[in-house]
Amino acid sequence: MLEFLLALLTTATVGTLLIPLLRARVTSTSRFEGELAIYRDQLAEIERERAGGALSENEAAAARLEIERRILAADAAAKTTAAPPDALHRVLPPALALAIPLLALGFYLKVGHPGVPAAPFVAGSKPPAEQALDIAQLVAQARARVAAEPTNADAQSALGEALTLEADGTVTPAAVEAFNQALALRPDDPRSLYYLGLHDAQSGDSAAALKRWQELEAKSPPNAPFLTVLRAEMARVAQAAGLPANTTMPQPSREQQEAMAALTPEQRQQAIRGMVEGLAARMKENPQDRGGWLRLANAWKVLGDNAGAVDAYAKADALGPVDARVLADWAESHVRGLKPGEPPSPAAVAVLERLEKAEPRNGLALFYLGAASFAAGDKPAAARRWKTLLALLPADAPIRAMLEERIKAADSP
Amino acid sequence: MSRRLLFLLPLATLALMAGFFAWSLMAGRDPASIGSVMVGRPAPRLDVRALRDGDKPLTDALLRTGKPTIVNFFASWCTPCLAEHPLFTRLARRDGAVIVGIAWKNKPEEARAWLAKLGDPFLYAGQDFDGRTGIDWGLSGVPETYLVDGNGIVRFHFRGPITEKDVRDTILPFLKSGA
Repeated sequence: MLEFLLALLTTATVGTLLIPLLRARVTSTSRFEGELAIYRDQLAEIERERAGGALSENEAAAARLEIERRILAADAAAKTTAAPPDALHRVLPPALALAIPLLALGFYLKVGHPGVPAAPFVAGSKPPAEQALDIAQLVAQARARVAAEPTNADAQSALGEALTLEADGTVTPAAVEAFNQALALRPDDPRSLYYLGLHDAQSGDSAAALKRWQELEAKSPPNAPFLTVLRAEMARVAQAAGLPANTTMPQPSREQQEAMAALTPEQRQQAIRGMVEGLAARMKENPQDRGGWLRLANAWKVLGDNAGAVDAYAKADALGPVDARVLADWAESHVRGLKPGEPPSPAAVAVLERLEKAEPRNGLALFYLGAASFAAGDKPAAARRWKTLLALLPADAPIRAMLEERIKAADSP
Repeated sequence: MSRRLLFLLPLATLALMAGFFAWSLMAGRDPASIGSVMVGRPAPRLDVRALRDGDKPLTDALLRTGKPTIVNFFASWCTPCLAEHPLFTRLARRDGAVIVGIAWKNKPEEARAWLAKLGDPFLYAGQDFDGRTGIDWGLSGVPETYLVDGNGIVRFHFRGPITEKDVRDTILPFLKSGA
């Protein structure tokens, strides 16, 4: 809407500039004609006044002489400046009036981001009074619950969470206390572990936070609903502190770790491969173990054996449809080996389409299904997917420019 | 002719400004950094009422105890202050830092409620409701933090919230140096 108004404004401005420029131009000769008409009038008036007796004969002669002198001067001036305007002078102003807005538009399309959605100030911000009331209520309820059942770990950690919300996301000492209480009652309470990690990060110990979170991640079931948030937080804190991000491999026992540490990198790689191959052999004997297939798929994926991972995911899926998170891993194994610009295989497209159905805003699915549509000649579908993806990307995402190039290619007939 | 030159004046001004902006962008200087004239000089006068009821007023003597001191200006209405607050809590609890907190342009009861909610890491807490002490200290806003050595000389001045990196690389070594 705003773009339209701006375009309208620009058009109006250019129009008002162009119309007089393109119209018959006031040349100096026509100006001379105008002056002549005035002087003619004045001469006629002098004649009238002389006839009426308002001017004497002498005065009239002097006035006439003065006007004639002016006519001569005007004629001389017209002659000196009357050089006909050359082509450059005639063409340049309207050309500039047109070229400047067009250049500006072209420049904006080149360096700007016309696809970025606007971020209005008001959207998303709730009225503060109402929000404050809600949180106060939340804290009061949580306190009442802790008072009623002081040995309930869930009540304690809910109180901690409410206190954290009350402090706009800062884990306050009172909240830490509540989480510690919760952990004393239930040592693996994920919510308390998460917030205590957040507290570590907020009080300047990102390493401790990451350690706590990695332990939590390792302990959590692979389909725990909070894992997405947890992983995002781990990535954020690790990046802010310049620490390496998480590893999601299952933790081996201490003896295994020590044995591993004694090996050279090549031997270690080989040992890991050996273990995974052992698991693969066991799966051949026991192909009905869906969880085993998923573990194997994950192991192959971590080892970079995309074909093995794809195969194992398919086996697990045949025993029971996998959820969106596994679909994302499966799809990733499918597309990881692709060269830039290469469209995904039909098998990959099938997985990606399921992923897109489960998560319509999944970036991986949008990107590669767009590539598949493009390769299949369905440019509108490709452009639609990529535009959806573009709108989801943060403004400084590094792949933006590449994606915009592709959208341009898909939009061109 | 001279009048024509006059018409060029706005254009020349524009070119000059564009040149300056381009230089600012390219030269890699941090436009947010406005430096500080406080560093290396004796700390400005400190004479404020205590924030907590029953405490003694804060005076210059607090900054010349021979122990390094952190002076933090904060306000309950300031979001970055909220973000850096747990760092001060840790510095006070784990590292035993002496922290002077001054509530700047902040109603004392609101500042007290804020500290009650988030925890109070300040050994000494003062109030600067009218912002006068802030002017003496060259404050541009909150949060700002000064590291004052044992002789009352300002050694560092952070404009904006302190971060984990500041704590690790500057504040902890400063406290340890004991100067």
